[in-house]
Amino acid sequence: MDSQSTPIPPEWLEEFEAAARRPLEQRMRYAFIKTYKPVMDDADYRAFDSMEEYRRWCEENLPDWLGYGRL
Amino acid sequence: MAVFEYRQAQEIRDVFARHGVRYLFIGKSGAILLGFPDTTQDADLFVDKSLQNGRSISEALKELGFHLEPNQSADIERGRDFVQLKNGPFDLDLIFAPDGIERFDDAWQRRIEIEGFPVCSLDDIIASKVAANRRKDRESLERLRSFREYWRQHLRGK
Repeated sequence: MDSQSTPIPPEWLEEFEAAARRPLEQRMRYAFIKTYKPVMDDADYRAFDSMEEYRRWCEENLPDWLGYGRL
Repeated sequence: MAVFEYRQAQEIRDVFARHGVRYLFIGKSGAILLGFPDTTQDADLFVDKSLQNGRSISEALKELGFHLEPNQSADIERGRDFVQLKNGPFDLDLIFAPDGIERFDDAWQRRIEIEGFPVCSLDDIIASKVAANRRKDRESLERLRSFREYWRQHLRGK
């Protein structure tokens, strides 16, 4: 289990506090966006037998700049 | 495809409850429900892998307006590890075996409920992103860890 403790940078603290003051509905309105992701958005259904298979598919098929590749 | 909205999260919550679906919000969408200020595109659900739950999910998704072909319903009932749906009113990822989390029951014990939405703990959300080890998660991980610290200090128990 990841239990790494990280100090909170002041600018993030401000954002966390501002978000905590907003109702959930408003937080969601700000958070969910839609932009076209090439290849990923070109099929309306995909299923994979394992996460490893899915991760490999992402690496082999998606543009690098989408960031789905593993480090 | 429309943007995922609060109203649709409510529909998931209410329809899944009627069908007895065992699920948890996970990933950045789960963190956002807990108050994490960031952006994402779709909702991710960690769903319990069992034949009964798979059947319940399939029925619930049809009620929500997803257009499932028989083979797609079969995939869900079988519990294929990752199912990506873009054939309904919003995009939805079903994850039967997320990286970094051993068992649904353990994650369920650690869950946080927000307005009736069952959400994975921040420890589990972070653990799954650490295990996935993707470039796109690298930046958000530090911010998520800071938010977990904020959660522990200010929001836990509210």
